[in-house]
Amino acid sequence: MPIVTPGKRPGIRLSKSKVFGKKIKGGKKSVYANMQLTPMIDMFTILVIYLLQNFSADGDILFMSKDIQLPNITAKMRLERAPVVAVSTDAISLDGSRVLDVSDATRDDTWNVPALEEALREKRRNIEQSNMLLRGAGGEGFRGIINVQADHLVQFKVVKKVMFACNQAGFSNINLAGMQVSAAGEVKTASLP
Amino acid sequence: MGGAAPVETGKKGKKSLDSELNLVPFIDLLSCLIAFLLITAVWTQISALRVAQTGGLDSTPPEPPKDNTIDVRVTLTDRGYTLSLAGALVELPKVSKAAGMGYDTKGLVEKLKLVKTQYPDQRAVTVAAEDAVVYENLVDTIDQVVAADLPDISVTAAVN
Repeated sequence: MPIVTPGKRPGIRLSKSKVFGKKIKGGKKSVYANMQLTPMIDMFTILVIYLLQNFSADGDILFMSKDIQLPNITAKMRLERAPVVAVSTDAISLDGSRVLDVSDATRDDTWNVPALEEALREKRRNIEQSNMLLRGAGGEGFRGIINVQADHLVQFKVVKKVMFACNQAGFSNINLAGMQVSAAGEVKTASLP
Repeated sequence: MGGAAPVETGKKGKKSLDSELNLVPFIDLLSCLIAFLLITAVWTQISALRVAQTGGLDSTPPEPPKDNTIDVRVTLTDRGYTLSLAGALVELPKVSKAAGMGYDTKGLVEKLKLVKTQYPDQRAVTVAAEDAVVYENLVDTIDQVVAADLPDISVTAAVN
């Protein structure tokens, strides 16, 4: 059976009739309903504007781990793209790769952590090599910036050793990362500018 | 009107003046844009505190304070803050807070603001901490010092 437009379907003879044919053909209501797209486009536009306002070309500098809960800070200095030393209550890692356990780092009272220091020196060599390659294309020199992403419950004994290792490896500009909060103590998210 | 079909005039033989705008590519573009922005959105704002470390094994002695500045040192101990202003010590013991005993950050900020008023060129502060001090307290202290318009922070270990 063929698919036909809904509505009146007179017989062939009736539709060809001079008397009734015109009545049936004329005055038909359109069977096509218009879909209202305007509200949807309005909503899409508002959504795009909102998301564009929150867009960050830097992306995520830190890899947020469930083992590390950052302390709250009110300062508004942005993190720069640099190597990240993550310090949880269990382990110390550099750019996501585990370097040593915290228990190994705190075993003695000396300041230096040779394993971390060596990993940082290797990282520095890599940065300097890539900077040398990029220098012709306008790249900048080694600035010694490092981001420290430490859990809020870590003791200063661990943090000072990490900072010392950074310093020894030439990373003297240390950025301590924290969750940005307003003065009232509310954590700032995309919805809380 | 966006998406509206041409209005039928009911008169035969006349072309409608309203033309239909093709919105499908526009909706496609918006959908792709929304999907991309949702994936790349950064939902948490992360800030940083820039510090330098002093002290350690082979550290050079700290520079003497410049003209119109003094040596300011904030030490975190298990008892509270010890503020050293050009050698003069001020004790700021822990105060009771909602979550138990905590550091008197308000008192510290008040003292540091007084220093800033008296020495407008002052920028440098040394923050020292004992080994057992929790990182959260250290960061909070540095944050308060920066808020008191003293942005050059050096971190070192407190001499027990």
